[in-house]
Amino acid sequence: MFKGFWKSGDPFVWLTGGALAFSVIMIIALIVIVAANALGFFWPGQLVLAQLQGGGKILGQVIAQEEIPGSPSTGGQVRSRTEFQVANRDLYGADFRWVEDEQILSRAFPADAIFFERWEWGHLFGFLKKVTQDGKVVAEGPGEAWQKFQEIHPPTQETLERIHYIERKEIGAINYDIERLRLQIKRIWLEEHDPARAAERVKELEQHGEVLQQQYQEKAQELKALYAENARYHIIVQAADGREKELPVAAVVRAFLPNQMSWGERLSLYLTRLWKFVWEDPRESNTEGGVFPAIFGTVMMVLLMSVVVAPFGVIAALYLREYAKQGPLVRAVRIAVNNLAGVPSIVFGVFGLGFFVYLIGGSIDRLFYPEALPSPTYGTGGIMWASLTLALMTVPVVIVATEESLAAIPREWREGSLGLGATKWETIRKIVLPGALPGILTGMILAMARGAGEVAPLMITGVVKLAPTLPLDAHPPFFHLERKFMHLGFHIYDVGFQSPNVEAAKPMVYTTTLLLIALILLLNLTAIFVRNRLRSRLRFGTF
Amino acid sequence: MPEIQETENRETEARKAEVRLYAAEKKSRARGKKLADQTARVVITAGGVAIILSIVAILFVIVAETLPLWKSPVAQPEPAISLDLAAGEGAGHALAVGVEEYQEIAYVVTAVGTIDFLSLADSRLLQRYQIKALTDQRPTAAYRDGIHHTIAVGTIGGAVVPLKINFSAQFQDGKRTITPEVKEGQPLQVDPQGRPITALVYQEEEGKTATAALVGPRTLLFLSQKEKTSLLGSSGVEEYRSDLSAALKADVTALALDRVQSNLLAGTSSGEVYHWQVDEPESPTLVDTFTLSQKTGAGISALGWLLGDRSIIVGDTIGGVSVWFQVRDPQHPQAAPYRQIHVLRSHAAPVTAITPSPRDKGFLTADAKGTVLLHHATSEQTLLEMHTSGDSLGVLTFAPKADGALAIDAHGRLFRWHLHNPHPEINLRTLFGKVWYEGYAQPEYTWQSSSGSDEFEAKFSLTPLAYGTLKGTFYALLLAVPMSICAAIYTSQFMHPSLRNIIKPTVEVMAALPSVVLGFFAGLWLAPRIEKLVPAVFLLLVALPLVTLVASFFWRLIPLSVRNRCKPGVELAFLGPLLLLTLYACVSVNGQIEAALFHGNFPQWLYDTTGVHYDPRNSLVVGFAMGFAVIPIIYTISEDALSNVPQHLISGSLALGATRWQTAIRVALPTASPGLFSAVMIGFGRAVGETMIVLMATGNTPVMNFSPFNGFRALSANIAVEIPEAPYGGTLYRVLFLAALLLFALTFLVNTAAELVRQRLRERYSRI
Repeated sequence: MFKGFWKSGDPFVWLTGGALAFSVIMIIALIVIVAANALGFFWPGQLVLAQLQGGGKILGQVIAQEEIPGSPSTGGQVRSRTEFQVANRDLYGADFRWVEDEQILSRAFPADAIFFERWEWGHLFGFLKKVTQDGKVVAEGPGEAWQKFQEIHPPTQETLERIHYIERKEIGAINYDIERLRLQIKRIWLEEHDPARAAERVKELEQHGEVLQQQYQEKAQELKALYAENARYHIIVQAADGREKELPVAAVVRAFLPNQMSWGERLSLYLTRLWKFVWEDPRESNTEGGVFPAIFGTVMMVLLMSVVVAPFGVIAALYLREYAKQGPLVRAVRIAVNNLAGVPSIVFGVFGLGFFVYLIGGSIDRLFYPEALPSPTYGTGGIMWASLTLALMTVPVVIVATEESLAAIPREWREGSLGLGATKWETIRKIVLPGALPGILTGMILAMARGAGEVAPLMITGVVKLAPTLPLDAHPPFFHLERKFMHLGFHIYDVGFQSPNVEAAKPMVYTTTLLLIALILLLNLTAIFVRNRLRSRLRFGTF
Repeated sequence: MPEIQETENRETEARKAEVRLYAAEKKSRARGKKLADQTARVVITAGGVAIILSIVAILFVIVAETLPLWKSPVAQPEPAISLDLAAGEGAGHALAVGVEEYQEIAYVVTAVGTIDFLSLADSRLLQRYQIKALTDQRPTAAYRDGIHHTIAVGTIGGAVVPLKINFSAQFQDGKRTITPEVKEGQPLQVDPQGRPITALVYQEEEGKTATAALVGPRTLLFLSQKEKTSLLGSSGVEEYRSDLSAALKADVTALALDRVQSNLLAGTSSGEVYHWQVDEPESPTLVDTFTLSQKTGAGISALGWLLGDRSIIVGDTIGGVSVWFQVRDPQHPQAAPYRQIHVLRSHAAPVTAITPSPRDKGFLTADAKGTVLLHHATSEQTLLEMHTSGDSLGVLTFAPKADGALAIDAHGRLFRWHLHNPHPEINLRTLFGKVWYEGYAQPEYTWQSSSGSDEFEAKFSLTPLAYGTLKGTFYALLLAVPMSICAAIYTSQFMHPSLRNIIKPTVEVMAALPSVVLGFFAGLWLAPRIEKLVPAVFLLLVALPLVTLVASFFWRLIPLSVRNRCKPGVELAFLGPLLLLTLYACVSVNGQIEAALFHGNFPQWLYDTTGVHYDPRNSLVVGFAMGFAVIPIIYTISEDALSNVPQHLISGSLALGATRWQTAIRVALPTASPGLFSAVMIGFGRAVGETMIVLMATGNTPVMNFSPFNGFRALSANIAVEIPEAPYGGTLYRVLFLAALLLFALTFLVNTAAELVRQRLRERYSRI
């Protein structure tokens, strides 16, 4: 029986099958865990008011429950504990709290518990006591105060939006102009040999500078008024332990009563939060708010990279396959190019830093931006250098893919074209390239997917944790290729590993990860789809 | 008729013209076509060559950045200057020399009590400063600390005058003007009896000074002064004097006192060095005496500290040069004994002067025959040899930026060199071998590139990093190779093609997952869970195969007729849920196992029994995460190789009665083995260069041990962490480029080997 069992080889077949099953389980598990953690984060859960032994009370969301590690269950009784997100960082010092289940006397879901999302200091969980206007109480008690709050909250957010607009856009533009003026003046002093003329030119610019200063003053006045308007309204919130916290209404992003919400309301809030996550700027050193600049940076960098990679990769492949004389040298080059795809990305990053940033960027600075020195313009990491570095890294992928699809074009096609009197270039342009297009596109998309997911070379050629400005804005010349940028992959690394409050930032990291995975899977699936679609169409068109 | 004729003629003419026009048009179109064809050829050829060259240029740029590390230093001699020292008593004698950082002005402390400032550009005497505090006492000896710019002059009357020389540089209209300024301190009467001082050392720091002076061959005096501020604000000076002569058994020839005023060393003509501890200035204690070993008859002729005042450089009368420092010794917990650590190239004549580099652990030594050597202590290299007139060089110094050296011989000639020595500490031994760094108990492999202190010596051993890279790769491949090759065998041999078309792309999607995602997942999700579940993880390694075997046994119990109706690959449908169940079971019994075998806490148990500290982010976690990244690569390539095994071989084997397992293992596997080899090679290349996973899933400490419960620091992660902070063109920057070059070379070679093997395989398949 057993002899036959081993001899049949089936156990080994099953073992190999087990290896495959395990690999597939690992992939699915990874994606499911990331997705579950990420998507659950935006769901407005209920706020639990737990009565503890010894008279304490906590209000929060249940995050996790587990057996207490390292405590052997004595007498068969398993001790467990629950993790609450209690928020109120400014009151308690920490967002999370573990409580032993034995300590919890009762749990309740008070209907008037409010979940405040704040611009700063994380969330605030508590009960609304009073609303004040100019220091006078205008509403008191849960129902009335809540109503009043809902009435005055939207206008404060509009004012806040206006404040942000003035600070970022309008004052940002004035500052941008002032800085440019300063550099222009510096440049005049550097270049103009005649001091009298230089002084004349500088004077003109300085007058313009004064106008700008005045504009700045006006804006500052307006800001002051807006701030004063928002400072009129305050709320007083009582935390679970009875402490009261007074805060301006404007400091609240959003407030809701999680224990009173219907499923529809929850879903709509969930979608709003998801939407804001994608389209808003980050807050609180990236641990809250959205990831829009990171998405923007990733997409822009990938597009820049593609613009470089596509022509270069195709030209190099055309040369290797169509024009170069096939021999040992071309074969060696082909192997070398193929192998470059396997060279670690960090090596390309090091090259980018040494060559693009320091050598080329440094030279550009000395030649064209001497007025800004010693602070570098192009002589430091930026989106252009990062894109070029990634382009260099992914160009072998495109070359290999293009070459393969060029080689797959049937010989008869070319011969037919040449026989009809077409030149070589015409054959390539009209017959070979269209035939190879699916392969080229697939290679391009795979290169984009690889570029989008790569972080290590970017870390040293221009990615930053928080870029104040996007590389594309309303100031001429619109594209600011020297600027540093944010990136989804680096965002994951930075928030997950460098941020001061990793525990609170974890959901953000999961969500960003899911976004990145989705982006890359989308690109890969597109590649597969495009390949299949174009391939079948071309087959159909020929025979 | 003629009319008709004419019309016809006209028509023919017109047609001819038309044809001509057509031909011309065709010709010009053909020309245009040809031009387009030519242009395309030129553009594509030029573009293609340029792109390929620029890709190859990557290698050259990286190599070019590392090359300066290997360049030997250069000394460019300047013409010698004859000093005008003839006047007065003690003629022709220079006591000390110094230079400012731009190397425009040098100064010489002379034996007639002046400081002569010289313009080095035109050898002109700029200023002759008379030291006022000397008050007619002729100087007999001088001490100069070139790193902290203190000078002390000892006089014939037993007094010591501390001096400070500052240079201030002013820039105006692009021109530099340097003005020297001399500050004289309060003279100290070291010898109350007024004997002439023949040698001295002097240190001052925070209102505390210490002086040791030799007033006779065997008479050594020590004087310490400390400013005291009482509560009432009145200040006084505490003074301690001691005579250290009692212990001396030979003539003292050289002295050294460290900056913190705690160790005083005196070398003698019989080759001994006395070591006093002078932390408590009221009672200096002789703690140790050490002798230059093996060299009989050699006396000590010069002593000097390396930068940081912890290592002492000893020069002797037969030209030997060695570096000693205190090595912690359990038998002498109070004052560790000095031990000879580095021996450097010897001079042919007695060593006369020693001066440390103000930038690194390098130093200059000069001898009685006019030769100057530039050494680097830690790397045990003698980098340069410089020759002068052949007379004894008594005075020697470095320029403040260590980019120049000055020496004065017995005839008052000043020799000067420009030094270019940017990376003295780098050679193959310091990069890859064990190095005995200052303060270490033994030679070690160390990577430590920065610290807060100025006097810190960067330690650039690539060995622990390469070790970390290989360790991570090993653990990753340990998981990935068996998993992926087994999975590839199953997919290619035992699976229905329709199922394969779903499974294969799924595994390939794994390859597309960004490494930052895997790193994040390993570091933040996996690591804390594995920490709690170590026993379960090891249990899984046994349980998963065991459960699979048991499942296959039960499968055989099902009648053959039922089994035959299933598609090949049906095993997966059972194994998926079964493995998940096993996983769940292992995790749930973890608590019991931990309680029963490991006192309830595995990391604590591990530490108690083996002394291994459990790092939460360790090689086990990296093994899983990087294995995850490598599995799809090995899987795809080996699956391709296995499923391209010519079908007639497989069919032949099956027809001869072999089971499907025998066919797979005896026919398919050997035929495809080169493909599997190249798959593993490419997987290895990926694991070696992987950056984000190792950066996020390990603690990044450059330790060297093979424990799966500890982290490591890999070459790639090290580059990512350190290169943003590395100053452009500095040693660290270039060493990191070297690390990148190593990675490049390793992966390129491995990939090329794999590619060549794969091409061979393709040829073999086409032959069969």
